[in-house]
Amino acid sequence: MSVGKKDITCPPEAIGTPVKDSDLKEGKVTYVEDHPDIRYAWTAGQAISRFLKELKNGKLIATKCNSCRRVMFPPRMFCELCFKPIDDWVYVQDTGTVQTFSISYIDPDAKPLPEPIIVAVIAVDGASPKMGIMHILDEVKPEDVYIGMKVKAVWKDEEEREGAITDIKYWKPVG
Amino acid sequence: MVFNEKIVNPTELKHWEGKIELYWVYTSGNAGDEFFKALKEDKFIAAKCKKCGMVYFPPRIYCEYDFSETEYVEVSGEGSIRAFTVARLDKNEEPLEKPEIYAIIDLDGTDGCILHLLDEVKPEDVYIGMRVKPVLKAKDAREGKITDILYFKPT
Repeated sequence: MSVGKKDITCPPEAIGTPVKDSDLKEGKVTYVEDHPDIRYAWTAGQAISRFLKELKNGKLIATKCNSCRRVMFPPRMFCELCFKPIDDWVYVQDTGTVQTFSISYIDPDAKPLPEPIIVAVIAVDGASPKMGIMHILDEVKPEDVYIGMKVKAVWKDEEEREGAITDIKYWKPVG
Repeated sequence: MVFNEKIVNPTELKHWEGKIELYWVYTSGNAGDEFFKALKEDKFIAAKCKKCGMVYFPPRIYCEYDFSETEYVEVSGEGSIRAFTVARLDKNEEPLEKPEIYAIIDLDGTDGCILHLLDEVKPEDVYIGMRVKPVLKAKDAREGKITDILYFKPT
């Protein structure tokens, strides 16, 4: 195809044809629709299964490598730096430090939320530096959150816990 | 050694189940709308470029080569097979009772083609260049979808 000036008869801005919701319902325009059933199952594996089981008891567990002396959280079965199986399981505290955070004003469907939620990466105390999980913060205003803020986990009541990450309701500032 | 503490009972290993919500509506567009509405009246519509004479099937509202307008022309709907494949499994890989034949059909009087099913013919009897014609749904059952054409059969 040749490149260059062409005798274009179409207007430079082609005007679209708006379609209303009612046009679809009344069958004025033809269309196809689908609602595919997409399901998945994610297996937690050895280390995360144990982690989730301990959440039910209200505890956070990590794994330790004796070669590099790191305490890894969330736990894993292999040390990715030493390429060897982990050596020990250790409990860590349910307090930590905000590493980074984000304020979200919309839900997963992009609908506005009545109150913004604060999502943060929290490095837990007792694990090696910068080892942490992503969770939500509450009992704090978005404008008061800062990197390095000390936070503490707020747990669900013991009988309500089910071995899921939501067994921790949220993290709140300490002091 | 920690590996002695491994979880050996598979029911103790946890998993997480989820569902991805997805819903979509795809409108046929100006030319597609014209095509499906004409199909309800047993007509096949193609679009001819007013400038270069290229005949598009499925119809388009403008020519892709020189951006000029097109006009709708009626075609017979008959055509010849350009390529075909025989499916013996369904989309979940379950064996089909009867193999399905999918073909790309060059429509007479157009420069375009359509991908559709073949029927009333055995898979071993299909050949490239075979002449076929469409079989439409009952007139009152047509709903403006490509399935309004049930299949193509040899003429």
